[in-house]
Amino acid sequence: MYDYIIIGTGPSGGNIAHNLFKAGANILVLEAGKLMTKKTFPRTEADTSARLYWGGGIEFDAEAKMGFLRTRVVGGTSIVNQCLLDRFDDIALNDWIDESGVKWFSQEHLAPFYDKVENKLSLHTFTPEDMNRNAQLFTQSCDKLGVKWGALRKGQNDCAHERGNDCMACLGGCHRDSKQSSYAGYLRDDIAEGLNLQTETEVTQIENNGDTVTVYALQQGKAVTFKAKNIILAGGAFGTTKMLMQSGFKKQLPALGKNFSTHPQFMSFGLFDEEINAYKGYFQTVASKDPNLRTKGYKLENVFAPPISAAMLFSRTGTYHQEIMRNYTRMTCIEVAVRDENAGEIKVDNKGKLTIDKPFTDQDKTRRDSGRELISNILTNEGAKKIYASSFAVGLHLMGGSVIGTDPKRSVVDPEFRVHGYNNMFVADSSIYPNAPGINPSLTIMALAQKLSEQLIGTTHDIKVSEQLGA
Amino acid sequence: MTSKYLSNSALKTINRIGDMMIPKNGEFPAFSEVGGLEYIDEIVSYAPPADIKDLNLVLTILAFMPNFVLRWLLSKMENSMESTGPLAPIFRMLDVGLRGLVFSCYYTEKIPASYKGKKPLDIIGFDLTRVED
Ligand SMILES: Cc1cc2nc3c(=O)[nH]c(=O)nc-3n(C[C@H](O)[C@H](O)[C@H](O)COP(=O)(O)OP(=O)(O)OC[C@H]3O[C@@H](n4cnc5c(N)ncnc54)[C@H](O)[C@@H]3O)c2cc1C
Repeated sequence: MYDYIIIGTGPSGGNIAHNLFKAGANILVLEAGKLMTKKTFPRTEADTSARLYWGGGIEFDAEAKMGFLRTRVVGGTSIVNQCLLDRFDDIALNDWIDESGVKWFSQEHLAPFYDKVENKLSLHTFTPEDMNRNAQLFTQSCDKLGVKWGALRKGQNDCAHERGNDCMACLGGCHRDSKQSSYAGYLRDDIAEGLNLQTETEVTQIENNGDTVTVYALQQGKAVTFKAKNIILAGGAFGTTKMLMQSGFKKQLPALGKNFSTHPQFMSFGLFDEEINAYKGYFQTVASKDPNLRTKGYKLENVFAPPISAAMLFSRTGTYHQEIMRNYTRMTCIEVAVRDENAGEIKVDNKGKLTIDKPFTDQDKTRRDSGRELISNILTNEGAKKIYASSFAVGLHLMGGSVIGTDPKRSVVDPEFRVHGYNNMFVADSSIYPNAPGINPSLTIMALAQKLSEQLIGTTHDIKVSEQLGA
Repeated sequence: MTSKYLSNSALKTINRIGDMMIPKNGEFPAFSEVGGLEYIDEIVSYAPPADIKDLNLVLTILAFMPNFVLRWLLSKMENSMESTGPLAPIFRMLDVGLRGLVFSCYYTEKIPASYKGKKPLDIIGFDLTRVED
């Protein structure tokens, strides 16, 4: 009988597994995906989509207007993400208090947890020398138009930038272990030290028997069962919500599946006369940092996409497609990330398949359109000959579905991360987000996971938490 | 070439659709000329079995359609983003699914050795540097 079973190894599960392992708890970590390392991560874009992502690539909302990306591998979605790590501001946290009734959401309360995560990981704030031509054009134009921008902070330790490494490759897993995924940042060393991790094990059902929890899973297709005193669900917004739904908790928890948001992103590409090579070097170093845009409910990110994704996003087919792809190296790109309303709902059909309702509300549309207009100004201002705006929304930040709150009718998890009504089932992953913060979510997922870890270690092991859980 | 997951007629249909999406044009080779389908199993094998079954079914149905119908269908799919009605989501999903397959087999490093021309990734100037220690 384990003290804890932790399901999922993304930023939430990775942090919690690490902390409980270091504290000496008897734990089992289950992950649906495989363990891949810097040597075995896919080396092509097509292989990345197929091998790392749930659904073999992309999952859609019921209307197929939006695509969602999440991965199935040890390290979770942090394996493919950009690892841009930002603390939440008062706007985000106050909105969370309003939505959830949870009073401890404040920068001051979260600061020690943020500190511990930031001390554990290696962080780099980009400098002007790091910026490629895409970023230079973005910042120049923002300066002229009076749009405030800022350098991004990324979890990384040695990207070999000076030796010409292109970080776009790490969208398929970092082949240098530089990116601070929850694998490189937390789990890699623990696995070497004997962390009890079972991979390719997809949890299908959870049964709460009061003092114990039974976990049913398929391990490489074979049915297996585990028992623990406590479980921690860290499957992300879709994974955690699906596990709870499949286990029949919707009856007691009417809010299960609700309040889904995703920061829908829309990319616009600008065609220039000069060679830009936006995919080279650090390809994402700057973003808007403008209080005005924050109030308007969106931000602009200076990004780029590898060829297959770019082809999917901005060019259709035939000779028109080829004309655009021929100019791939002369394109710049900016995306608008909308701080969307939490009007989405995660459901599971009777075959066990996820169905996502994600209405794109009038407010969301206004924010997108306002962002696109500004992007158009930024690009034309620097001399873009043509602008290709993609109308396909991509959701990379999957949030909600099992949200935190004080009211069991309107939330799934209580302010101490317990599933309402159960003392031994905990969640502190992206599924508990009450609404869209409009800020990169990972750092706060890890800070909340850190808070839960300290709560658990404090209650079950009676040790001085701050001494045990340092960097 | 054969596939463990897709029928022969499904493969032929992908090549037909691929050539409509990416015809031979100047430097660009036609989709089928490159032969990227050789590696299709490496992509398809990771999709959920139910999706593979659906894909086979759709491609087998499309196999019976003459070129002009297939072209009409592709343009319907391409313009489906703003369409409404019960079939619109299916068209959108097909659009992303088929373009995804075609582009994945074309803009890729994995091109069969039998193809001697300039690779699509070289034509667009994509040359990613991976510094591995
Ligand atoms: C391309 C991309 C770029 C991004 N860039 C950034 C960024 O720069 N900054 C940022 O803050 N965020 C970014 N994000 C979002 C961020 O990665 C996610 O918000 C974050 O990883 C969510 O953490 P999580 O622990 O809640 O879930 P996940 O990271 O999704 O981890 C969940 C894990 O649980 C496993 N799992 C799910 N269900 C089961 C089950 N039934 N049984 C067993 N295991 C299961 C999954 O396989 C997965 O490994 C990006 C996302 C993408 C796709």
